[in-house]
This record gives sequence, structure tokens and C-alpha cells, in this order.
Amino acid sequence: MRKWLLSLLVLIVIVSGCSNDAEKGETGKGIEDPGEVAGKITVWGWDVAAETLKLSVDKFKEEYPDVEVEVEDFNSGDLYEKLTVGLVSKGSGMPDVILMEDERIPGYVNQFPEGFLNLSEMGYDKHKALFSEAKLENVMHEDSIVAAPWDIGPTGVFYRVDLFEEAGVNAEDIVTWDDYVKAGIQIKDKLGIKMLPIDIAKYDGVFSQMMQQQGTSYFNENDEIDLTSEEAVRSMEMVKKLYDNDLVLNNSGWDGIVTATVNGEVATVPYGAWYTGTIMDQAPDLKGKWDMFYLPQFSEGGTRYGNVGGSAILVSAYSKNKNAAYAFTEFFTTDVDTQLLGFEKYGLFPSLKSTYDSPILTGNSAYFNNKPIFKNFADIVSEVPKVNMNKYNAQASQIMANAQASVLLEGTPVQEALEKAEKQLVNEIRE
Amino acid sequence: MKNKENTTRKINMYVLLLIGVVISLFPFYWMVVGSTLPSGKIFSVPPKLIPGNHLLENAKTLNESLDFARVMWNSLFIAIIYTVISVLLCTMAGYAFAKFQFKGKKFLFFLILCTLMIPFQVTLIPLFEIMVTLDWLNTYQAIILPSIASPFAIFLMRQNMITIPDSMLEAARIDGAGEFKIFFSIIMPTMKPALAAVSIFLFMSQWNNLLWPLITLNSKDMFTLPVALSSLIGMARIDYGQVMLGTTLSVIPILIFFLIFQKNFIAGILGGSVKG
Repeated sequence: MRKWLLSLLVLIVIVSGCSNDAEKGETGKGIEDPGEVAGKITVWGWDVAAETLKLSVDKFKEEYPDVEVEVEDFNSGDLYEKLTVGLVSKGSGMPDVILMEDERIPGYVNQFPEGFLNLSEMGYDKHKALFSEAKLENVMHEDSIVAAPWDIGPTGVFYRVDLFEEAGVNAEDIVTWDDYVKAGIQIKDKLGIKMLPIDIAKYDGVFSQMMQQQGTSYFNENDEIDLTSEEAVRSMEMVKKLYDNDLVLNNSGWDGIVTATVNGEVATVPYGAWYTGTIMDQAPDLKGKWDMFYLPQFSEGGTRYGNVGGSAILVSAYSKNKNAAYAFTEFFTTDVDTQLLGFEKYGLFPSLKSTYDSPILTGNSAYFNNKPIFKNFADIVSEVPKVNMNKYNAQASQIMANAQASVLLEGTPVQEALEKAEKQLVNEIRE
Repeated sequence: MKNKENTTRKINMYVLLLIGVVISLFPFYWMVVGSTLPSGKIFSVPPKLIPGNHLLENAKTLNESLDFARVMWNSLFIAIIYTVISVLLCTMAGYAFAKFQFKGKKFLFFLILCTLMIPFQVTLIPLFEIMVTLDWLNTYQAIILPSIASPFAIFLMRQNMITIPDSMLEAARIDGAGEFKIFFSIIMPTMKPALAAVSIFLFMSQWNNLLWPLITLNSKDMFTLPVALSSLIGMARIDYGQVMLGTTLSVIPILIFFLIFQKNFIAGILGGSVKG
């Protein structure tokens, strides 16, 4: 339904594209009056991210007392819908500052190139060194920064310490994915518990983590679709191996994964760092029983680091108060205390590297087996391979989930399923 | 013999109907039960059929997430005001189309029917821009006014009113009644079933309306129920207990509304169907 609506909106834009030419001139970029930063700005966000944005306002006002900030909170699907309507009608009713998931940025920026402020032109380039390369890759558009980097999701495999001990598996011995399968079989035989949850027909999360750790994605470095790469075949074969050994719990959606985590139906969950917040929140009884290790690698010496999810902050080009909006965005994403606040209260893992020295991040976590779990995540941020994301990311991900289902549930050979997926994606995005 | 056959047929029919009732009522019952359970237990297999004791906790978290009384008030206010004004307007329009002769009547009616075929998504953007120009974002009138003249309601009222005999109106005119007097004292009372049907239809459509309020409303204290319930679906976690409770509560007013008017509802919907 929503997809349908969005495509309809896009159609309307195309049809009515020529009508508003006269107004285009005034949506210029840049600073009109560099001296003054004042006025009222509106910020759109969702969930705990919106809460974090609200919490930051007090400190922001110490520096910019003349700016009023109002944070409005929607669920993310609703926010995108409202945002699309606002962009289609050339900024009507749009907020000044917008939170967006990384994977959505290429789509919006390509579709509405005039809708968002070029942050590089506002001077954000000077902060480049504060963030990792992989994160910057996600927020750039044609060599300019269009979104200020906020949170990220360095990956790891969360595991149940008690179950591992009971089954006699040592987490440190798991280095390659084959070790992971072996450990999984051992746990399955001893305790009857599956190794990991995958929402087979809807989410290719584990597959895409494997892709990223090998430094690639659905698209190669030339931005071409590449679903039949060596890495893709290897990753899908591994997912199939996990499934064939009966180590995968096929459950539906985010809630399925959370439920499996809480109820002890799985021994491990490969996911992003922000999942720590969910585990602590939903399973307070399991305190001390969780820990993490890095993603297993495919061969000795391969990298074990990846990233899932993350979000960034964009400024509307139609904002009447660009200076204030930019000032808030810059402050929010580069202020160490503010970023730590969001991490401490809600588990939103900052991409701002200067936060990683803080005791909040380096200390041992009582919940996670008294291990410095957050430091483990922070340590790998700079080493996460940078991969290509583009506006077709969402479609590619859905098609890969279908391919995953056909390989695992219908027994289609990997090569064949991937070739079919690639063909399908090429057809779907042909313009 | 014949009697016996009749009884078996009846039994068969009732068994079928009973199955239908169970199928259509079960999700509803499950929702009510769900509102008394903690989020984690709602999706257990087999589904829980006995209410739990988590109702108060769900109510508490629901009230923490949103100002439920305020949201309920917004929804009620908008739906009631909308229904009253819209019913009146559409009845008048339907009356005019059914009983008056004027130039361009057929063409105008055709135009109105045409608008029935335009999906709302097409008018969404222009309408939104009008709201922005009028500075009406985040207001009640932005939700009530754009859809105040419902083509379907006008159509339904016209079809019903065609059946009113012209001689009745002529008699009233001869007795010296003005047009408004005729409309309010003669037409409206005879149209009760149709009015009930149109009221329920308009009330429901406004009560359940999500897309338009979602686009035009920005602040939490203006949210209507569907928008507020949708905002409960968080990025990282969804507390289904509180969602179920909110949904259950949001059904109550519409249930009451329907029960009040249901006797007239069926009659009204079918009213224009014989002689159209």
C-alpha cells in the first residue's frame, strides 16, 4: 500500500514536473547572513532517536540561545510518507531538520536533488576526520556531504554465555564461519537449541552482513548490480549450510527475532551494536548471560567486521532558517556529550569517533558478562570495509530475501537463484 | 417428511452461519484478550483465549506514550462535527438533484459522480498545498473541510429521494410551506433510514481516516486515533499490549454509533436500489 502510494506520488511529480519552474530560483543554497543564527526550527525524528534529539536541545541553547527547537516524533514509515509529500510539493509543510536511515538517503537525494541542503557548502567538510570512511560513504552524494552522520551499527555475534558453556563450546574458538557451523551443531545436539534466527522470506540481514565483511554489497565499485559475485555465492552458500544443518530458526520480522532472543530459542544473534539496547530492555532476566564475538570470517585472515543500519541528519533546502537548522545539525552530530547521552540512554551507537575514549564506552558492562562490549564495537568502526549503497538498495535487499527463501525453502541451487535475482533486479530498475 | 427436511436444512444453515460468526469474531476477541496480556505473550502458540491480568499495566504505558483522552477527544470532535455538517450538506445537495429542475443539473451530477472515481491519492498533493497556503496545517478544519461534501453521500441521498412523490411536495407548497420548512419538516423525517446509513458511512470513514490526518497533523496533541496508534509502532520495539488496548478502545465509539443507528442502516443502504 505504501509502496504503491509512493510510486503514485513519484508519477505525480513526473507529470506535474514542469509547472513550478518560476519558483525554482529562490531555493538556493548557502548562507544568506552568516552573522546571525536565530529563529525557530522544527526537527522530525522517530522513537528513541527523537528522544535523543529532544534531550540535546538544552545544551544546544546554551550556545545558541536565540534558536527555538521543536522536535516532532512519528513512526519512521509515517515520517517518510509525510516527507515525500512535503518534497513533492516543493517544501510545503516540511520541517527544517530530518532524521533518516542511511539506506534511505541515496533514494531520497536522487529523487529530490533540490530538496536537501548541501552540508559541504555550509562548511561540514571540516568535520570529515571525525567519522569513519565507511560511514562517510553513506552520507555523501556526488562528492558532497548531504547528511550529517549520526549513529551506526558495527556488527558482532551476540551469544549466550551460559548455553555455550553448557554445550562445551568456546566462543574464542569460533574464527571462521565453518567453526560457527560446527559450534552450532554441537549446541544443537547437546541442548536442542538452534544457532541463529533468520526471517528467511523477508530479511537478508545475515547475508548482507557477510557481504559487507567481504567488502562488497549488491553493487560493485562501479555502481553496477552484481548479485552473482564470488562473494555473493560464498555468502549464500554459507547461509544454506547453516540452514541445511538445521541451525536456523525461521521466524517472522523484528518481533520474531526479539522473541527468540528473550525466550532463549537461539544461542546467538548476529546483529548491529544497537541491538544491545534491545537485549537489555527486553530481557532484563538474562543479565550476565550475554556476550559478543566478531563475525566469523570466510577464510583465515579475512576481515570480521561489518555494519548494519545507522542513521544521519539532513537539512531541508526549503528551510526558512537554514543557518539555525545547520547549526543544530552540526552541534548535534559533533558534540561529544550529546552523542554519549543518546548512547547511554538508548543504546544509539555514535559514529563520532571522539566519543570512543569516554569511560561510558570503554568500561565493562555488567549486563554483558562484565566485558567491555561497547569498546569491542568501537574498536572496529574504522575497519569496517566501505561498501557501495545506492538508491536501489531497498529493492535489492527485498529481491535477495526472495532468493534466500527460494534457496532455503524450495531447494533452488544457489547459482541459479542468484542469477534469477540479478535478472529480476535489472529488470525492475530499468528506467 | 417435509418438516424433517426443513429442520435439517435449518440446522445445516445455522452451523454454517455459526462458523462464519466464529471466523469473523475471533480476531476481534483476540484483540480484546491481547489488550490484557503483556507484549511477549500475545503471539504465543496456541493463541491465548483467556484474558490475562496485564490490563492496567497496558493502560499505564499507553497513557505514557500518548495523551489518550486528548486523542480520543480529537477523534470524536472531528468525526462528530464532520458527520453533522456533511450529512446536512449532502442531504441538501441530494435533495436538489432529486427534486429540482435547473440548468446543467445532469452535467453537475455527472461531475460529482466523476469525482467518485478519482482516488484520493491524486488530489492529496494539491490539497496539501492549499492547506499550507491557508496555514491550516495541524488544525481541525484541515481534516474536516476538504472532504465535507462527500460524492457518495450525495449520490446515496439522491437515489433515496427520487422515490419521494412529487405530489407530497406540491401539497406542502400549496399549504404555504417554504422550501426550508419542506426540507426540514417533510423530507428529513421521511429520510431517516437513509440519513442513518449516510451518517454511519461518513462517521466511519472519518473515524478510520489515516492518510490525510497523518499528512496534515504534526503535533502529538492534535493527533487523531489512527495517527496516534500508528505512532506507537516504534522503530526498535512495538509494545503490542498497548497497541491492542488502544485499538480496542478506539473501536468502542464506533460500536456505540453503529448500534444506535443499525436498525435503520440496512434499510437505508437498500433504499434506492429498487427504483433508482
